[in-house]
Amino acid sequence: MSSHQQSSKPSLAVKPGQTGIDPRGPRFGAGITAVLLLIVIALTLLTPTGTTTLARASEPGFVLFAVITVLFGWGAIAGIQRHPYGAIFRALVRPRLSLPTELEDPIPPTFSQGVGFVITVAGFTLHLLGVPYGLLITASAAFVAAFLNSVFGYCLGCQIYLVLVRTGILGHSAATGY
Amino acid sequence: MTAISAVLIVVSLVVVSTTIGLLFRARQGRVTHRGVETIVKAQDVPGVERFAAGATLVQFSTKVCAPCRATHTVLEAAASEYANVSHVDIDLTQRPDIAKRFRVMQTPTTLILDSKGRVRARIGGAPRPASVRAEIDRILAT
Repeated sequence: MSSHQQSSKPSLAVKPGQTGIDPRGPRFGAGITAVLLLIVIALTLLTPTGTTTLARASEPGFVLFAVITVLFGWGAIAGIQRHPYGAIFRALVRPRLSLPTELEDPIPPTFSQGVGFVITVAGFTLHLLGVPYGLLITASAAFVAAFLNSVFGYCLGCQIYLVLVRTGILGHSAATGY
Repeated sequence: MTAISAVLIVVSLVVVSTTIGLLFRARQGRVTHRGVETIVKAQDVPGVERFAAGATLVQFSTKVCAPCRATHTVLEAAASEYANVSHVDIDLTQRPDIAKRFRVMQTPTTLILDSKGRVRARIGGAPRPASVRAEIDRILAT
């Protein structure tokens, strides 16, 4: 992650010459994620949990969850602008909408993708290890975050980031490495 | 598990999330007047030498906070409507000590200070432009 946001000025607005993104793009993507997570939850509830790692890895709910995990990882590492849902948004949704009233910095939604990735990787691992309800609980948590983001514009990543800054895990001592 | 139980669980999850979302929305931008006696020193606020003669809007943000950008625009616009109101946006990433001192539990959080640095209002979440103006007008009228 680059540190091009670092500046002596405290201003956090999108700077001139910096490319902003349409804020409706990430919320559209969060909507798709929320629907897919609901399908994961329903499939997991309906499928008996496998007794072997291989059986658990081939459950339909888990396979879909693994895809969601990879997509979160993609968004977190490649950046929200290169997320496949962003491409769908630009091709199919954006042309039908009016112009955005403002552009948004891509850093916050990219950080949120990282938060989603951490939650889903946890669920992925717990399920493969055979921890009961591991997949259901993490999928439900990820659903709540994605749903609130998509429908209400709630930013869970912002809260988590602030807690990390307050506890000193992130912040001035590690300003370039969040 | 039966299909009906699965559907019920999924529906409850959506209902609970919607309730949380509605509560969140109702709380966004709420103005509180608790702690109005607190006096902030200008030198404790980065980027401020002395407070504006009318009011100072002190915004706390982080760089990963999307609503903070919109709030920056709203507060900047509100401040520009008044000759004696200024706006400062503080990145807590650089100053975790400030997050603790002002007990910032969410971003954005906005303090509205009068010319003496007294905290006259605190707004949690994205502020509504009308309530920011109302608070400024109230300070200017006293």
